Amino acid sequence: MDPPETRTRRRRASARSLLADRAGRRAFASFIGPVAIVAALPLLPFVNHYILAVTVRALIFIALGQAWNIVAGIGGLLSLGHGVFLGLGCYTTGFLFNDLGIPPWIGVWGGVLLSVGVALVMGGMTLRMRGVFFALATIAISLALDQLARHFVDLTGGDNGLALKFLGDSLWAAQSRSPVPFLYGSLVIVVIYYWITRWILMSRFGLEMQAVRDDEVAAAAAGVAVFRTKLLGLLASAAMTSIAATAYMQFYMAIDPEAAFGLAQAIQLQLPALIGGLGTALGPIIGGAVMIFLSEVTNWGGAKLGISGIDILVYGLMLLVVVLRAPKGIVGWLFRSPQGSKG
Amino acid sequence: MTAPVPALEVRDIGRRFGGVVALDHVSFKVGEGEVMGLIGPNGAGKSTLFEIVSGNLRPSAGRVVYFGSDCTTMPAHLRRRAGLCRTFQKLRLFESMTVADNIRVAASQCLTAGRDPRDEVGAILAQLRLEAQAERHPSELTLADRKRVEIGRAIAGHCRLLMLDESLSGLTHDEAEHLINEILALNRLRGITVVIVEHVLSVLAAMVKRLVVLHDARVVADGTPAEIAHDPVVIEAYLGTKRSVLR
Repeated sequence: MDPPETRTRRRRASARSLLADRAGRRAFASFIGPVAIVAALPLLPFVNHYILAVTVRALIFIALGQAWNIVAGIGGLLSLGHGVFLGLGCYTTGFLFNDLGIPPWIGVWGGVLLSVGVALVMGGMTLRMRGVFFALATIAISLALDQLARHFVDLTGGDNGLALKFLGDSLWAAQSRSPVPFLYGSLVIVVIYYWITRWILMSRFGLEMQAVRDDEVAAAAAGVAVFRTKLLGLLASAAMTSIAATAYMQFYMAIDPEAAFGLAQAIQLQLPALIGGLGTALGPIIGGAVMIFLSEVTNWGGAKLGISGIDILVYGLMLLVVVLRAPKGIVGWLFRSPQGSKG
Repeated sequence: MTAPVPALEVRDIGRRFGGVVALDHVSFKVGEGEVMGLIGPNGAGKSTLFEIVSGNLRPSAGRVVYFGSDCTTMPAHLRRRAGLCRTFQKLRLFESMTVADNIRVAASQCLTAGRDPRDEVGAILAQLRLEAQAERHPSELTLADRKRVEIGRAIAGHCRLLMLDESLSGLTHDEAEHLINEILALNRLRGITVVIVEHVLSVLAAMVKRLVVLHDARVVADGTPAEIAHDPVVIEAYLGTKRSVLR
């Protein structure tokens, strides 16, 4: 075992040198293997359209979970209505494409701007308060946007939702009949989000976020600007969710109020990080993969038995098991140390 | 010749919680480099005063002046960055972080430009004899070491005035003695002005030259430990009898 001085030096690696220390290289190695396997999937002979589509679904939910993990896992802000940013991203990209002919490569930034704007207003109103106000505010805004989306039928399609105009295989429109382009696109997002999470965890900003998560009063007494730190974490998470939402929209080609702002969706966004390990870089990736795999297996089994919606039951059971048996998630359970792991 | 600027001046501070008066026209000064004790029985208003001086609570009346600057409305984190530092009566450490990271949070916020937080963390760990605990988490430490970590976090970076809220409570006699020596060393070596809150007068008498006594939301005495020990108002406040409170 390394002496304390060596371990101290290792942990002090700067944000610019994620690969410079042994821990960083080990984490990278444990991450790059699965990434290479996913990247090679389309080349394997036994992999069909269904497996690729499920993998894309998993990658998109992993990315959404990574975004939620920034604000809730590292920052400790329990956002129960993160579907707001998913919805804003999807609807904005869809509206800009269908009505104004703006491709999603540009439309995504419209969604990001809108999400960041809403996060700014939401954070400005609630983040100075302590306790559950922020969590309640996210639910309230989610419910409000759900109603707005149902009301403005011309803009959003109302209850029926908004479907993208399909142009066939088109790079300009980011559309394809095959799931392969979406697999690579969402894989790139997951890799970038993993890197962003690692960077935050190693950076001064990450240290501030974790201090605020642990104890706001003590953080302020240590010189941390608590409000600013929470707000920046929320803005980053909102922007990341909105970008992943564009991938969601391009893959599913449609969005409706329930899929965007519904309670079930809000819970699904939280599950990857909760199951995998809150506040870790690997957690949402492992959690999202396990979640989608189990969901598909149980849905397949449920279909054989003529039972629908069994995946929701499985999500609930998984959450229960994690909360009771492994509160630090799968990552915390795999790398059992007294205080868990930064993954 | 002008008089030296006090490190801290509390001017006519008042604080009400509804109908309850927690502080009523409290005033005193703390000179730069001084080690001063603030005592009073439970409910005297010590903790409320601490919260006001550190910026967690706004006073209903009065001003807080820090090295000549009025900081009454300044947020807590900016007071800390200006060198006004504190610990908590009930320990508030960052439990998910290591000891070194607990100190690094403050060092990275409060250091003057050009200084490396890592050097500061190392220096504080050495000064408070916490080097062997650097990579441990607070939950793995003894109470005395946890209190050291909180003091380390409080002084990391830039600290001119350190306010300690019952840092000695719960410690054995030997542990308290060690911690007192370390606090006095901080005052001596780093030139930090120290204000210590305790409710047991005998604990403070050995380490400070001046005591301010709060009772029923007001300052009832201000003087040397010997003067305070024989002050009839203080004796009455503490014991309700005429016996010495230093016994």
